[in-house]
Amino acid sequence: MDKGWKGKLLRVDLTAGTCKTEALNEAWAKAYVGGRGLASKYLVEEISPEVEPMSPENKLIMATGPLTGTYGAANGRYMVVTKSPLTGTIASSNSGGYFPSELKYAGFDMIIFEGKSAHPVYLQIHNGKAELIGALHLWGKSTNETEDAILGEFHGDAKVACIGPAGEIGVHYACIVNDKHRAAGRSGVGMVMGSKNLKAVAVRGTGGVKVANPKAYRDAALEAYGMLKENPVTGEGLGALGTPVLVNVMNQSGGLPTRNAQSGTFEGAEAISGEALASSYLKRNKSCLGCIISCGRVTKLVDNKYAGAGEGPEYETLWALGAACGISDLAAITKANYICNEAGMDTITAGSTIGCAMELFEKGLISEEEIGMPLNFGDADAMVKLIEMTGKGEGFGKKIALGSYRLAESYGVPELSMSVKKLEFPAYDARAVQGMGLEYATSNRGACHVRGYLISPEILGLPEKLDPAETDGKAGWLKTFQDFTAVVDSAGVCLFTTFGIGVPQFTKFCNAATGTSMSDAELLEAGDRIYNLERVFNLKAGIDPSQDKLPKRMLEEPLPDGPFKGEVSKLPAMLPDYYEVRGWGSDGIPTGAKLQSLGLA
Amino acid sequence: MLKIQFFSLIRILLKRDAIDIPWVEGDTVQSVLNKTQAQISTPFLHKLLDEKGASHTGTIILVNRKNILHLQGLQTPLSDGDVLAFFPPGAGG
Repeated sequence: MDKGWKGKLLRVDLTAGTCKTEALNEAWAKAYVGGRGLASKYLVEEISPEVEPMSPENKLIMATGPLTGTYGAANGRYMVVTKSPLTGTIASSNSGGYFPSELKYAGFDMIIFEGKSAHPVYLQIHNGKAELIGALHLWGKSTNETEDAILGEFHGDAKVACIGPAGEIGVHYACIVNDKHRAAGRSGVGMVMGSKNLKAVAVRGTGGVKVANPKAYRDAALEAYGMLKENPVTGEGLGALGTPVLVNVMNQSGGLPTRNAQSGTFEGAEAISGEALASSYLKRNKSCLGCIISCGRVTKLVDNKYAGAGEGPEYETLWALGAACGISDLAAITKANYICNEAGMDTITAGSTIGCAMELFEKGLISEEEIGMPLNFGDADAMVKLIEMTGKGEGFGKKIALGSYRLAESYGVPELSMSVKKLEFPAYDARAVQGMGLEYATSNRGACHVRGYLISPEILGLPEKLDPAETDGKAGWLKTFQDFTAVVDSAGVCLFTTFGIGVPQFTKFCNAATGTSMSDAELLEAGDRIYNLERVFNLKAGIDPSQDKLPKRMLEEPLPDGPFKGEVSKLPAMLPDYYEVRGWGSDGIPTGAKLQSLGLA
Repeated sequence: MLKIQFFSLIRILLKRDAIDIPWVEGDTVQSVLNKTQAQISTPFLHKLLDEKGASHTGTIILVNRKNILHLQGLQTPLSDGDVLAFFPPGAGG
């Protein structure tokens, strides 16, 4: 089966301390592509949707796609699939860097972790051989320290994915950090890893990835390279300014949620923009393996009260630790980003939760005494301090560690959490960008931007410009984006390639790599299948369609400023259309006929 | 007076954030683009427009924070005091 897929998975029983190799289910691989889709299929088959996320019965799957580790576009992604402790939904968190491809080079498509180790361990994989190693000496160490220690004791060229202290102490949005600066960031997958006493996975592989049709694959790669190189976004813009270019775009467009989404423009946006970062702390850009886009931000704080070096902040981080908290101190945001990376925490939920806490403080719902300091919007020092406390599990940081929904709920005001299904929404206001609100409400992992990025057509005009204020037609666009994104993730390719290449290029890649002969429509149908598989899991887990909603603020509090002043989200007008184009009942539940047509019934 | 704001690669290229352009009756986005280029020696219009003068896919031109593609495009009329923002195609997420 060595054609795109390696044809092998590693099953690690942490309770028994054993590692076994299994053949990959080829029929499932063809139906669910790989990565997110295939791992979701394994998860659905192997755990009860009602499982307690932090129990040994939950499983944690690290999965690559058939294109991971190949040349071509930006083919170096892996996904972590599990049941999320933050949301209770199925989780799939995606990361690039070098670790994902190394897993393929070591001979595996995926790793399934089950059970729970009695003591901290990490997994060593060296060209098809795997063993669990005691990790008591690594417990409590930062992600940077953990990687350095493993490289020293295992193999200098190994690639490492690990949790930091946040994953060990139960921060609900702990992430899994690989190659020090890339993260499977959202949904708390690092908390599940920590609950299993699994500190890290270290891989060294010297094999390759074969493709079924090398000539067709080369042709597909040349076409994709050309398109990505010629495209002004992937060929120049993302390399020069990275994702932070969006700070000014979204602020000018009136959709930058500010001070816990109390407004849609931020007077401090210029100071935390991509342009400001490029002229201050940015040292160079950086790429993941084999990527010509090179959007990574290598940064260093100099001549400032905050010291440090690392990567980031990205756009979402600049917003979450910046505008969401009313903070315009770029050095403080960058420092807090470093702390999040080293502790292993999702910056989006971390920043959004602090923004929520700031509103609770200013409304008098939390006292200075309880927090241990004043917590007003705009207080950069307090934000950095609270991020540190959260990563260490100290004081009020223990409450920030719960995420904004549980925090706000504990003070009787869950509506002040800017989240859907307990996942905080990212840096786009649903009142200014109607389709994005529909995405937040319907995404299978909660309010997420990278399941159906309608910002691309609604704000950026890619592949064509849609009016962000319109609701008509958004359901159809969103379904296509969600299905295509499921394919891109599952194939093991970076979503950013889709600014330059589309479905036909992915079809060529997948067919040439795996030997299939899918049409564009069949590939998109695989995305539809994956989306419905996730939906059904969530329904069985108790996440019913009444959760396809937005915070009251989005629906009832008009934007007070910007070009969309006076607007609210028109979700109720779009949701019935969405259910219809999905082929679901008007109750939001996939029909039997729909599931049967996808082979899910 | 019109305020012209430069963002992203155009700001890096021009090494300036904004300029003011005198407003005259009948000004449109198109005419002001041309006047702006005339006032600045460094060529930048190619970042926004193709060789035929049409917007690149992904170019964002805002007038008072509203995208001209939802107004009257390059022929959008301007009033004294308007603020224009020029972004070449860009993305993130």
